[in-house]
Amino acid sequence: MEIDLKSTLAVDFGKFKLQNPIMTASGTFGYVDEFDAFLDVQNLGAIVTKGITLEERPGNEGKRIFECEAGMINRIGLENVGIQRFVKEKLPKLREKGINFVLNIAGSSIEDYVELGKISKANNIKAVEVNVSCPNVKSGCLEFGTDEKCLYELISRIREAYDGFLIVKLTPNVTEIEKLALAVQNAGADCISAINTLKGLGVELNFNGTKISKSFVQGGLSGKCVKPVALSMVKRIKEAVNLPIIGLGGISCLQDVLEFVAVGADAVQIGTENFTTPDISERLILELAEFIEKQGFKDFNNLKEELRK
Amino acid sequence: MKKNLKGKVLNIETTAKDTVKLQFSTPLKEICPGQFVSILIPNKTLRRPFSVTDFAVHDGTAHSCHSELVSESQKGQNLDKNTNYNGVITVLFKLKGDGTNYLKSLKTGDTIDYLAPLGNCFTLPEKGHKAPQKALLIGAGIGIAPMLYLKKVLTERGIQNLLISGFKDESEVVKGSDRTVIGGSVLDNIQEILDDFKPNIIYSCGPKVVLELVCKLAEKNSLKAEIAMEKVMACGIGVCRGCVIKVKDESQGEGAVKNASVCADGPVFSGAEVIWK
Repeated sequence: MEIDLKSTLAVDFGKFKLQNPIMTASGTFGYVDEFDAFLDVQNLGAIVTKGITLEERPGNEGKRIFECEAGMINRIGLENVGIQRFVKEKLPKLREKGINFVLNIAGSSIEDYVELGKISKANNIKAVEVNVSCPNVKSGCLEFGTDEKCLYELISRIREAYDGFLIVKLTPNVTEIEKLALAVQNAGADCISAINTLKGLGVELNFNGTKISKSFVQGGLSGKCVKPVALSMVKRIKEAVNLPIIGLGGISCLQDVLEFVAVGADAVQIGTENFTTPDISERLILELAEFIEKQGFKDFNNLKEELRK
Repeated sequence: MKKNLKGKVLNIETTAKDTVKLQFSTPLKEICPGQFVSILIPNKTLRRPFSVTDFAVHDGTAHSCHSELVSESQKGQNLDKNTNYNGVITVLFKLKGDGTNYLKSLKTGDTIDYLAPLGNCFTLPEKGHKAPQKALLIGAGIGIAPMLYLKKVLTERGIQNLLISGFKDESEVVKGSDRTVIGGSVLDNIQEILDDFKPNIIYSCGPKVVLELVCKLAEKNSLKAEIAMEKVMACGIGVCRGCVIKVKDESQGEGAVKNASVCADGPVFSGAEVIWK
């Protein structure tokens, strides 16, 4: 990519700056430069790393992927290298390559997250995204992100441990997203990203005469089919809190990006579409820049203001 | 280096019952046996992986064998002039669902979007290797697809090989094997064949149940085995961890296990490293 887009597309979150609003979502883009074969990762606003836990995790047994109409269901189970290996093997590469990144963290107890926050601070990691769609093992395995008190406590504790740009990735599997967004704001987070995957079930049936074999894939639904849910959630969050918002959920083209910006997103993440069109994020940066120029907007901020009027 | 590429459909034909051969142009200069391509299907989230069943690069002159596939009028049309599109990738697949039926509906000249070359390769005996090399190839069902390309390359390298394939019935038979088992199991009489042919290595592709038996057979006969595995994939490049299998992790000592992605660490695995359960 040759055009200098820095001045027109820049997004300034204060503690964290993006050269453009196009990011890639956790779990769909690897840890560092795995997509270098298809695009220049350095050109992206930021990448969000695969979810990292304290210990290395092997992930779930059995079938992990199920394709459905306009999307897919995954139950990877947070397979990842763990924070120690991340710091040792991945972090130096990210820095050496000049890739702007957000570390996505996940845990099964508040202590896990606090420790991850401390390690992030110690390693001068500028931005962290908290995956709160994980079961809180100590309190009966309810997900952190579905209970406002639990979420407030979690984020407050991470906030004490980590002073960088703190993003909380909200789960859509709740009744009143506003309450959870407020809890996150009150706990001192800097930003909300929304949405994580929706709970979904894939059913596979095979008939051999009257003999039936079936298998279920229960996991997180993502892809184009979740976009209306994501737009609705982003809009409701925007109306409830003052925090900046990173929108994601089914984005696959420029029109989708603009829709998310119109309802309240200050930046966006591309997730499942990376699998379908590996260079989509870089294409969207160019298309966005061209669109701004062609339509006569001053820059991305100007476009955002106009889209929200 | 893997790339996202566009190719023109050069030929598409049904070669056996529900079995389709698709050939398309490519600028790639090299694809090795075992590797696969991942083809974009309109309105589908996931690309579809297909192992390469043949690959050739031709010089593009009117007299090359390429001319039977590409008419003069098609050559270079709508293609980047600076890119050499004289490579031809062939894939062979069973009609299974929307993706494969879409591909079957393509016409000569249509464009396909694919990622390639993906995955690793079968280990080939070096050219001019002094010790006599003999390879037994076992393809079960559509698992014959990568075996055909492997057979071609082995033969080019002067390595004696025997390809046995197995199909449910006569109508499904894909040509190109030295021996074909119809009905029964591709592994019927396999011990006799081993004793008689005395291979140094067994290569195989097919359903998991067959591959597991092949690995056991190799172990019993103190032979090396390499198998190409198949799994539903999302990214195709090792990122999403959607297609992992369990393999032995020798770096962590005996009994240690790790995940390996079929798409990036595989699809070819050593028979001795796969954990079957």
